[in-house]
Amino acid sequence: MSDNNILLKVRDLKVKFPIMGGIFQKKVAEVRAVDGVSFDVMKAETLGIVGESGCGKSTLGKALINVLRLTAPGVEISGEVLLEKDGSYIDLLKLNKKEMSIYRPDIQMIFQDPFSSLNPRMLVGEIIQEPLDINTKLSKAEKRDKVAWLLEKVGLSAEQSSRYPHEFSGGQRQRIGIARALATNPRLIIADEPVSALDVSIQAQVINLMMDLQEEFNLSFMFIAHDLSVVEHISSRIGVMYLGNLVEIGSSDNVNDSPKHPYTQSLLSAVPIPDPKSKENRKRIVLQGDVPSPLAKPSGCGFRTRCFIVKPECANGVPPLDEKAKNHFAACPYTE
Amino acid sequence: MSDIKPQSDSILKKRLRKFKSMKRGYYSFILICTLYVLSFLNPILVNNQALIVSYEGNTFFPAVSSLFKPIFDTPNYEGKQFGQTEVFGKTLFGEPNYRELQKQFEKEGKGNWVLMPIYPYSPVENLLSEISSEPPTAPDSKHIFGTDNRGRDVFARLAYGFQISISFAILVTIFAYSIGISIGATLGYFGGKVDIFGQRIIEVFSGIPFLFMMMILVSFVKPSFLLLGAMLVFIGGWIGMTYFVRGEFYREKAKDYVSAAISIGTTDLNVMFKHILPNALTPVITFAPFAIVGYISSLVALDFLGFGLAPPTPSWGELISQGTQDIRYWWLIVSPLIAMFFTLITIIFIGEGIREAFDPKVYSRLR
Ligand SMILES: Nc1ncnc2c1ncn2[C@@H]1O[C@H](COP(=O)(O)OP(=O)(O)O)[C@@H](O)[C@H]1O
Ligand SMILES: [Mg+2]
Repeated sequence: MSDNNILLKVRDLKVKFPIMGGIFQKKVAEVRAVDGVSFDVMKAETLGIVGESGCGKSTLGKALINVLRLTAPGVEISGEVLLEKDGSYIDLLKLNKKEMSIYRPDIQMIFQDPFSSLNPRMLVGEIIQEPLDINTKLSKAEKRDKVAWLLEKVGLSAEQSSRYPHEFSGGQRQRIGIARALATNPRLIIADEPVSALDVSIQAQVINLMMDLQEEFNLSFMFIAHDLSVVEHISSRIGVMYLGNLVEIGSSDNVNDSPKHPYTQSLLSAVPIPDPKSKENRKRIVLQGDVPSPLAKPSGCGFRTRCFIVKPECANGVPPLDEKAKNHFAACPYTE
Repeated sequence: MSDIKPQSDSILKKRLRKFKSMKRGYYSFILICTLYVLSFLNPILVNNQALIVSYEGNTFFPAVSSLFKPIFDTPNYEGKQFGQTEVFGKTLFGEPNYRELQKQFEKEGKGNWVLMPIYPYSPVENLLSEISSEPPTAPDSKHIFGTDNRGRDVFARLAYGFQISISFAILVTIFAYSIGISIGATLGYFGGKVDIFGQRIIEVFSGIPFLFMMMILVSFVKPSFLLLGAMLVFIGGWIGMTYFVRGEFYREKAKDYVSAAISIGTTDLNVMFKHILPNALTPVITFAPFAIVGYISSLVALDFLGFGLAPPTPSWGELISQGTQDIRYWWLIVSPLIAMFFTLITIIFIGEGIREAFDPKVYSRLR
């Protein structure tokens, strides 16, 4: 893992949403949706990010494409998002709008909800062509050809470019979203639970499509899911999030076979295991209680209220990610 | 394949089709549009100037010529050109009285003739020497809605007043909407400090007492058509739409299609007006007919109080105020009220149709 293999370095990223209230619309509380997350995305790898719903996965994705400042009023973002460009790293969070526009094509996102992620007033062709209008100097005919080519790449037909999004099924809409993301020639695509809103029968098709495209275009993928089973087969590495923190990250095999963080262990114990040999090693761990509200995050380790190996010291500080094995990190000092 | 549709329908097209299917609103729309378009032909439908004068083998078009006066340098006609030197026993200077000219030509029988508009009276023409008694006179066969206290034909004033009222309301609505949409979009989209600052300004303007402010302004300048419209918008007309649009933008920008638009590098201006605005237009369009109703009423009220358009502009409110001075002249109240009632109810029908077509959920809830 040499250093220049890293496409994106995320360092201590924090995203806080203010909660306004009272007569003066002052900030009365804040949601620490992403609370100090650090990780790397390698070139041409698939990094899976797993966590329960509400743990800040979508917020993390949107922070990386740097849209929150405009779409979420009052949001506070800190930390670094370093994108590799020609051998050096640029901190996207420090750029102004104009500078940022240079790097926008590099990171694209496929959104969780295929219904709100396509503008209902635009034709599919217009939706896919817009990134070309902005980021390329192609002629009209070239753009039309490129749109047709992109539609065919994602398994739709060129004629469908003169349709409106509401004429498509969820799976097809997600394909349109993929085509739009591809249109900027990105280096990293963040797929935010791209199949969770789809029928089980078409989930596999969409996932396979993305994996084929990754291979063809040599893309890096950050694949967000709320369920390990979706990402374990397609990811080279997996990160596990809990309540705004990354609690474990390592290669897919390591995280699956020897999870280090108690939260990951409990997640995996809930997954049905097809291989009977490894079954014996896995006790079923049932967590107590619910995920705490991100408004009232416990002090110290966020997981301590539900942890089965909790110690009094866990309240004292957020545990850092420790290297438990080679390239396998977990944020708990009390496991091996 | 079975799903070969020749053309996909945009949401707007669907809604327009839905609107067409709502008979009451659609026919009201056609009716008002027809009348409004016709009202631009008022100078050749309701006018005291002849359409055609044929005099000693030459043909003249006085009505058309004065219609284009503001644009081309068209000729003025004088009575003596057509051999009319005297009307009602007085020497005539300047413009001919074409109605009398018509009678004169018939009497002379020299083959000269005059073609008058269907309703041969103008809204600002003083008919004192033609009417039977002191003005105002009650409706009769010549003046179907009577005359007002200066001896002007009421029907002609209503017809021209219709055009002025609707034009005024449309113009003010467009003014108010342009300002409201621009400011509302900016506040809603950028949020933060811009929004807080903008809201304070809105609060200041909402605090202005509309009528008093109007009275003060009108005491400085007797407003023209455009100036009065600008005053209405400035004092507060823009606020309603600003709030609407700000709220819509606030809601829409949290949706993922906006994040997607930003992430592909769309400029703020394009995100606002190409992506968000078309999705925020529903309340804007739905509200427009009701805004027009409101501004027609405002104009009537201001004219009634004497703070409206400068005389002798034909105005419904001014007629009503004449009528209220002496209840015996009932036609001065009844005819403008009927015209106003008819106009407003028709536009409200249109508004209902549009609302049902654009916002069916709200409408069925209200039912
Ligand atoms: N724009 C926002 N304003 C306020 N709170 C938000 C906003 N977006 C997300 N949140 C909050 O941040 C937390 C994380 O949300 P999200 O990132 O959507 O989680 P996930 O994608 O993992 O389900 C949630 O508690 C959510 O309520
Ligand atoms: Mg999410």
